[in-house]
Amino acid sequence: MQSSKRLVLLAAASILVLAALANAQIRSQYRFKVGRKPTISVSNEYGPVTVTPLAGKDVLVTAVVYSDKVEVDRNHSGRRVSLISHLLPGATDETGRVDYTIQVPAGAMISIHSAGGPLHIEKLNGDVTLEGTTAVMDVRDLNGAHIHVRSLDGPITLTNISDGNVEVTSVRGDVTMNAVNASRVQVSSTSGHIVYDGDFGDAGEYVLMSHTGDIEAIAPAYASFDVTARSERGQVDTDFPLQPKHTSFVVHAGSAFAGTMNKAASSVKLLSFSGKIHLKKR
Amino acid sequence: MTCAEFEAVLPEMLEGEVKQEQQEHLRFCSSCFDLLSDLSLIAREARSLQSDVEPGPRVWSSVEIALRQEGLIHDPQPQMQKARRPLLWRPAWALSFGAVFLVAIAGLLYERGTGSPEVAGLGIIKPAASNATVPDDYSPDDIEVLQDVGSRTPAMLADYKANLRKVNSYVRDAEQWVRSNPSDEVAQQSLINAYEQRAVVYQMALDRSQP
Repeated sequence: MQSSKRLVLLAAASILVLAALANAQIRSQYRFKVGRKPTISVSNEYGPVTVTPLAGKDVLVTAVVYSDKVEVDRNHSGRRVSLISHLLPGATDETGRVDYTIQVPAGAMISIHSAGGPLHIEKLNGDVTLEGTTAVMDVRDLNGAHIHVRSLDGPITLTNISDGNVEVTSVRGDVTMNAVNASRVQVSSTSGHIVYDGDFGDAGEYVLMSHTGDIEAIAPAYASFDVTARSERGQVDTDFPLQPKHTSFVVHAGSAFAGTMNKAASSVKLLSFSGKIHLKKR
Repeated sequence: MTCAEFEAVLPEMLEGEVKQEQQEHLRFCSSCFDLLSDLSLIAREARSLQSDVEPGPRVWSSVEIALRQEGLIHDPQPQMQKARRPLLWRPAWALSFGAVFLVAIAGLLYERGTGSPEVAGLGIIKPAASNATVPDDYSPDDIEVLQDVGSRTPAMLADYKANLRKVNSYVRDAEQWVRSNPSDEVAQQSLINAYEQRAVVYQMALDRSQP
C-alpha cells in the first residue's frame, strides 16, 4: 500500500516536471544601476510590457521568455538601458513571446516598440514614447510627461494625465482619454474613434482630428474653453450654449459650430472630414 | 592541233606559256598567227595604260550598244510569279492562328474567373495613377513598403495593407477638399494630417522591416 502511494506521487511529480520542461519558459531578472533620469528602450514584438516606478536609481527588469526561439539582448551604458527581444528563425507570435515587467525611476524616459503588446505604463513623470501595430496601450497617472503614442490598429487609453504634452497618432485604433489635462493635446486618427472625457484643463490647447472616425468630447458644465468644431461631411452638434465667436469659415448648422464657454481658458478644435462630432455636457 | 583547240588554249599563250605543238600550228596557220598577234598587242597596250586613265562614258555606252547588238546582253524580263494565297487562307497557318486565338480566349476567361493575378504574394494590387479614384489602389511607394513588410514580417502584411488603404483614402479626400477650397485652413490642416498619417504608416513599416 505504502509503495503504491509512493509510486503515484512519483508519477505525479514526474508529470509536473515534464510539463514544466515542455513549456520551456525561462524567467530572468536583471538589475541595472542608472541614476535618476535614465533612458529605457524596449523592442518587443510579442508579449506584454509593463512599466511602473521604483524608488531609487536602479532599473529592475523581469523577463519571461517562452521558448528558445527568442533571446533577450541587454545593453547597458551609463544611464541608458536597451532591451531587445531578438527573434530567431522560425519564431512565431507564441514562441517569440517575451513578457517584460520593468521598474524604473519615476523620471525615466521610456521608449517601447511593440507589435502585439499589450503595453501598460503608469505613475511616471518622464517622457514616454510608445509605438505599436495592434498592441493595446494603456497609459495612466502620468504627471508632467511628454507622451507620444503611435498605433495602427491597437486601441489607446490615456487616463489621469496632467501637465506635459500629449501627441497621439492612430490609424484605425480608437483613442480614449479620461481626465487628460495637458498643455497641449493633439490626437490624430484616420478611422479610429476619438473620445475625450475631461474638463480641458486651464490654458491648454486641444486638437482632435480624424478622417472618418467619430469624435466625442464630454465635458462638465464648468469647463472653460473656446471651441471650433467642423466636419466637412459629418454631423456636428453640441449640448453647450456657446457664446458665438468669429470664424474664418462660414458656420453651417449641423456641420460646424464655434463659440466660447465660460472664460474660454483652453482652446479646443474638433475637426473631421466625414466623422460625426458631438460635444456633450456631462 | 586544230584552230578550235588552238583558240581554247589562247589565254595561256597570252600569259606567255606557248607549247611546241602550238608553235607548229602557228607556223602553218596564218589566221591563228594574226589572231595571236592582235591579242598580244592589246594585252601589252592595256598593261601600259595609266590607272587614272578611265574610259569616258561614251566608251561604255558604245560597248553596251555593241554587246546588245550581238545579243550578248538584254534587259531583265519581268518574271511571272505564281499567285499566292493570303497567309491566313493557308490551312497550316489558319490552324496555328486559330489555336493561338483559342488559348488567348481561354486565358482571359480564366483570369476573370479567379481574379487579378497575384503580385509577389501581396494579393490584388493595382499601382495607382496620379489621380486614382479606385479606393483599393496602392502607389508604387506603397507597394515597395508592403513588399518590405511582406518579406520581413508576413504576419503583419494584412494589417499594413488595410491601414495604407485607409490613409490613402484620407489623403485623396483631403486633397480634393483643398482643391475645392484652397484657402480653407481646416482643409489645409486636414491634408497635412493625412500626409502625416501616411508617413507614420511608412515609418512603422520600415521599423518593422529592420532585422
